[in-house]
Amino acid sequence: MHDFLQRPPLSNKERMNLPHQKMQLQEADKRTRNFCEVPLGYSDQQAMDEAKRCLQCRNPNCVEACPVGIDIPGFIKLIELGFPAEAAKKIRETNFLPAVCGRVCPQDKQCQAVCVVGRKNEPVGIGNLERYAADYERAHNTLMPPHTAPDSGKKVAIIGSGPAGLSAAYELRLKGHEVVVFEAFHRAGGVMVYGIPRFRLPLDIIDEDIAYLESLGVQFVYNMVIGNILSLDDLIEEEDFDAVFIATGAGLPTMLEIPGSNANGVYSANEYLTRINLMKADEFPKYSTPLYQGKKVAVIGAGNTAMDVLRTAKRLGADVTCYYRRSEEEAPARSEELEHAMEEGIRWKWLSNPVEFIVDDNNFIQQIKCEKMELSEPDESGRRRPVSTGKFFTEACDTVVMSLGCSVNPIISSTDKSIRINKWGVIMVDETTCQTSKPGVFAGGDSITGGSTVILAMGQAKLAAAAIDKYLKGDLKEEPQVPTDPEYYVKDWQLNGKINGKEAVG
Amino acid sequence: MTERVEHIIKHIHFDSEVEVGKALDHAEELTDLTPEEKNDLAEAFSIIFYHHDHAGVTAMVKMALRAEHLLAGFGCDVVPFLIQELVNADEESAGYLGRAIALNPCHDIDLLLEEWENKTDDDFAIINIIQTFSYFKSKNIIKAMPQILVAAKSGNLQVRAIALYTIGKLAISLKPDSFSAELRMSMFDVAFEMLSDRKPLVRRNAARALGKMQKKGLLLEGQKRKTYAAFKAILGIDGNHNWDRAFIVRHEANYFIPLFKSSPVSGSRYNQSFTVLKKKELCAKTFHFVIEAPLIARKLQPGQFIIVRPHAFSERIPLSICGRDAGKGTIEIIVNTVGKTSGEINALQEGDHFVDIVGPLGKPSHIDKYPATCVVIGGGYGTGAIIPTARDLKKLGNRVVGIVGARSKDLLLMIERLHEVCDEVLITTNDGSRGIAGFVTDALQQLMEQESVGYVLAIGPVPMMKAVSDMTRPHAIETYVSLNATMVDGTGMCGACRVSVGGKTKFACFHGPDFNGHDVDFEQLMQRQKMFVREEKEALAGAEL
Ligand SMILES: Cc1cc2nc3c(=O)[nH]c(=O)nc-3n(C[C@H](O)[C@H](O)[C@H](O)COP(=O)(O)OP(=O)(O)OC[C@H]3O[C@@H](n4cnc5c(N)ncnc54)[C@H](O)[C@@H]3O)c2cc1C
Ligand SMILES: Cc1cc2nc3c(=O)[nH]c(=O)nc-3n(C[C@H](O)[C@H](O)[C@H](O)COP(=O)(O)OP(=O)(O)OC[C@H]3O[C@@H](n4cnc5c(N)ncnc54)[C@H](O)[C@@H]3O)c2cc1C
Ligand code: SF4
Ligand code: FES
Repeated sequence: MHDFLQRPPLSNKERMNLPHQKMQLQEADKRTRNFCEVPLGYSDQQAMDEAKRCLQCRNPNCVEACPVGIDIPGFIKLIELGFPAEAAKKIRETNFLPAVCGRVCPQDKQCQAVCVVGRKNEPVGIGNLERYAADYERAHNTLMPPHTAPDSGKKVAIIGSGPAGLSAAYELRLKGHEVVVFEAFHRAGGVMVYGIPRFRLPLDIIDEDIAYLESLGVQFVYNMVIGNILSLDDLIEEEDFDAVFIATGAGLPTMLEIPGSNANGVYSANEYLTRINLMKADEFPKYSTPLYQGKKVAVIGAGNTAMDVLRTAKRLGADVTCYYRRSEEEAPARSEELEHAMEEGIRWKWLSNPVEFIVDDNNFIQQIKCEKMELSEPDESGRRRPVSTGKFFTEACDTVVMSLGCSVNPIISSTDKSIRINKWGVIMVDETTCQTSKPGVFAGGDSITGGSTVILAMGQAKLAAAAIDKYLKGDLKEEPQVPTDPEYYVKDWQLNGKINGKEAVG
Repeated sequence: MTERVEHIIKHIHFDSEVEVGKALDHAEELTDLTPEEKNDLAEAFSIIFYHHDHAGVTAMVKMALRAEHLLAGFGCDVVPFLIQELVNADEESAGYLGRAIALNPCHDIDLLLEEWENKTDDDFAIINIIQTFSYFKSKNIIKAMPQILVAAKSGNLQVRAIALYTIGKLAISLKPDSFSAELRMSMFDVAFEMLSDRKPLVRRNAARALGKMQKKGLLLEGQKRKTYAAFKAILGIDGNHNWDRAFIVRHEANYFIPLFKSSPVSGSRYNQSFTVLKKKELCAKTFHFVIEAPLIARKLQPGQFIIVRPHAFSERIPLSICGRDAGKGTIEIIVNTVGKTSGEINALQEGDHFVDIVGPLGKPSHIDKYPATCVVIGGGYGTGAIIPTARDLKKLGNRVVGIVGARSKDLLLMIERLHEVCDEVLITTNDGSRGIAGFVTDALQQLMEQESVGYVLAIGPVPMMKAVSDMTRPHAIETYVSLNATMVDGTGMCGACRVSVGGKTKFACFHGPDFNGHDVDFEQLMQRQKMFVREEKEALAGAEL
C-alpha cells in the first residue's frame, strides 16, 4: 500500500553508521523521588532518525526473534516516512499491547539481540520505536476499531486478565465469540498492574487498552476467583461456556525457608509490590493499606522483579541493597532495568547468599546474615554455579523483600483434578494448541511456563486463541498431546518457530 | 519570497504526488523557517487540499495528510492564515485545514472564536469553525463549548447538526474530567432536547452525542434512564410501536442502546451489588450486616471467608461469615471495629454498597460424624463464625455444644442464633455478669470432665485459640483453629498471611484458614499481627482528622 513512498536514498553502510538515538531519561537524582516514568519517549524527529537506521532486511532476523512475529521492518519504515499512526496499526496486527511491550519486553534478549545493525553499532531501538508508535496512537486517538466477525453464538470464559488473558480476549472477540474475562482482583491487568511499577509502565496505558477491549464488547467480571467461587465445571456445565482459557499467571511466591523467614518486615516481592502498586500503600494513609517500609531495605534476587522492588524502595526513600548469590553477569534482569537501577544508587552485594534473618524480641527483622559465594568453573552446561566459601557476614536491615520468582498458583489445579500439572504445579498443555488434559479447556501464559515474559504470554495466548476458534468451529480434530511425565517441563517455548523469551529468575 | 521557499513551491504539481512528496521532504527538513516563509509555504501547500480528486488518488490523500501535519507543525505563525482559508473552504479542504489548526501546538481557540463573532451571518464559515473544534484534543477547547451549545439550537440545520456532532466527538476525545458537572448538565440538556428536532440529521447527531457521553461515563443515573427510555421509543421497543421514521436515527439508537442497559448482558449474572440490606448493632462497636451477594451465598461452605473493601481507597480485609440465605441471595457478617477499615465498614448504612467483596475463599471447615461430643468455641466475631460449622455438624447427627466467652454480658452476641444450631450453649464472662465466671477454657474444662469430647473448633482472639489448643493437646482431641492472619489478596499470591504450622510455612488464605491447633506457632502469629501497629495508628489518626 505504501510502495509509492520512497525512503531517502541512503546506502546500507550510511544507515549502519547513523548515530543511535538514545531515549532521554529523567535524571537519576530526580526520578528516585517520584513515580513518574523514567524514559521520556522519542520526539518525532528522533523516532524518524532512529528508524532510518533500519536496513529493511529482506530476511529480517528481528522478526524471527520476536515471539509474536511483529513485522518489525514494516512498522519501522512507516515511522521513517512519518506515518506513526499507520505504524501502530501495523504492530497491532500482531501485538495487542504495543505500548506495554515497547516498555517492558526484553528486547535485548529478542529482536534487538539479533538485529544486523548491532553487529557494528548499537542495534536499532526497536522497543523504543514500538513505544513511540503506540504513544503516538494514544496521543492522537488514531486507533480504529477493527472489524469484528458476526456473532458466532459461542461463549468463551477467560480466567485471568494479565497479558495472556487480554490478548486471548481480543483475538477471540474479533472472531465473533462472546468473551467474558474473570479476574480475581478488583481490577484488570494482572502483573502489569500489581507487579510492574508505575515508573516503568504508567497505569493509564493499561486502562486504555482495557477500555478498548470493553468497547469491542469483551465483558469483565472482577472479584471472581475461579476454583474457589465458580469451578471449571460450573463454567462449562452451569454457565454454558463452550471453551475456557486459563491465564492465571504464576502467582505463588517462592520464599526462602531459612531461620527468620516469617519475621515481621520480611515480604515476598508480590506482597511488597501489590501493597504499593495495587493498593497504593505509597499513598498511605490516604489509601489505608499499610507497608512497614524501613530505612534499610534488603532485596534478595536480581531478576526483573528484584529490580522493580529495589527501585520502588529507593523511591520510598530507603537505603537499598541487592543481595544475589551469583555475580552481576548472571543477573537475569532486563539489561536496561539493571542499568537504570545502577544509576539510581542501589548498593550491590553480588555473590552473597542469605542464610538467616536475625530478629529482635518482637520478631522484627534486624540483620541479614549471608554466606560469601564464589563462582565455580563452568559445568557441562556452560553455566558457572555459585559455591560456598564458608565465610559469612551480617548487615543491618529493617525490611527484607524476597524476589526469588514464582511458581504456579494451585487454586485451579487443586480444585479440578482433571487438569494435569507437572511436579512443579505448571499446567501441562499440548504445545501446538495449548489444550489441557480437560476437554474444552486451554491454558497459556505464566500458568504453563511457570513465569516468563509479557510477550511470550501473549504469543501463547494467540496460539491458544487460534486453536480455541478452531475448536469452537468443530475443526480441531486431532487428539491433544498433553505430556504425562510429571517431570516434563517445556524449557524453550518455540513460538514462531525460533527463539524463546523464557527468563531464568533468581 | 525567499529562494529556498520558491524552490520548494516549484515542486507542487497537483498531478504528481512524487513531486509534491519532494516538496514536502524539503519543507520538513527546514527547521529555521521565518514566519513569512512559513506563511508562503502554508499558502502553497494548502492548495493541495483543494485541488485534487480525493476519491481517486489515494497517494495524493497521503500527501495532503502530510501537508496537514507539516502546517500543524508550523505553530502559531500560520494559524491566522489557516483560519482565513478555513472560513472559505469547501467541506473536504475544511477537514485538512481544520486539523492543521486543531493539532497545531498553538491551540488557539480565541482566534477561532473571534472569527466566529465576525462571521455570525455566515453559516458556512461557522460550520467550518465548529467542525474544526471537533478535531481538538486539548482541554482548552472547553472554552468554546458554551458557543457550541448555542449553535446546537441554531436556525440552520447544518449548524445544529455539526454542533451536536462536535459535542459527541469532544465527549469521546477529551478526558472525562475535562468537563465540569455544570457543563455536562448543559451538554445533556441540549443533546436531549435535540432528540426531538424536526430534521433527522440533527436527531441522529443528538443521539450519537448522548451515546458517546454515556460511553465516557458523562451521564448521571437519571440522565441515563431518560436517554434509555428515549432510545427505546426511537426504536419502537417501549411498547408504543411509534418508532422514529428515519433509519439513520434508529440506526444510531440501536448502536448505542446496549450501553444503557443497566449492565452488560451476560456479565451481569456475576455482578453482585453488595448492598447492605440490614444493619444491627449487637454491642458496642460491633455490628451485624446482611448483604446482598447471591453468588457468594450460593457457593459458600462453612469455614470459608470473604475479603472486602468498603471503599475504593480502603484496605482489603478478611471477614468470616456467620450466616447465609442461598434463596434470598444474602450473606451475614459481624464486624468489630478494631481499626480503620473495620470502622469504615461499621459506618456503612443500609442501602450503601461495598465496592468489592471476594469470596468464598479458603478451605471449608473440617466436618465429619464423631463418636464423641463436638465443641465449637467462639469469642468476639468468632461467635458468629462458628454458627455455620455448628449447623452442619449437627445436621450430620453430632452432639454439638457451643461455648462463648466475653468480658461481660453486654459484649455477648448471637447467643440465640447459636442456641438454634447447638444442643447446648455454655456462656462465660470474665466478670461473672452472666453464665460461668471466667474464660471459655474454664467451660471447656468442665465439659471435658463431664463427657468425652471428640472435636473442637475455636474461632476468636489468638490467645483464646492458643489456650484452647494447649488444653486439648494432652488429650489428643482433634482441634481446629481459624487463623486470622493479616491478608492482602486472599488467593495465595502474596504470602502476607504466612503462618508456621508443624514447622512448615503455610498460607492461611489458601491452606486454611482452619488449621490443626496443636501444630500452630501462635507466638509467631501474634507477633506478625503486630507488624503494622504503628501504621495502623497512623491510618486511624488520618481517619479522625
Ligand atoms: C515485578 C515483575 C516485573 C516483571 N517485569 C517484566 C518485564 O519487564 N518484562 C516482561 O516481559 N515480563 C516481566 N514480568 C513477567 C510478566 O509480567 C509475566 O510473564 C506476565 O505478566 C504473565 O502474564 P499472564 O497473563 O500469564 O499472567 P499474569 O499477568 O500473572 O495475570 C494473571 C491474572 O490472573 C488472575 N488470577 C489468578 N488466579 C485466578 C483465578 N483463580 N481466578 C481468576 N483470576 C485469577 C490474577 O489476579 C492476574 O490478574 C514481570 C513480572 C513481575 C512479577
Ligand atoms: C479469616 C479471617 C476471618 C476474620 N473474620 C472477621 C470477622 O468476621 N469479623 C471481624 O470483625 N474481624 C474478622 N477478622 C479480623 C479482621 O480481618 C481484622 O479485624 C481487620 O483486618 C482489621 O482491619 P482494620 O483496618 O479495621 O484494623 P487495623 O488498623 O488493620 O488493625 C487494628 C488492630 O487490630 C488488630 N488486628 C489487625 N488485623 C487483625 C487480624 N487479622 N486479626 C485480629 N486482629 C487484628 C491489630 O492488632 C491492630 O492493632 C478476620 C480475619 C481473618 C484472617
Ligand atoms: S534486523 Fe535490524 S536492520 Fe534488519 S530489519 Fe530488523 S531492525 Fe531492521
Ligand atoms: S493473603 Fe496473600 S497469600 Fe494469603
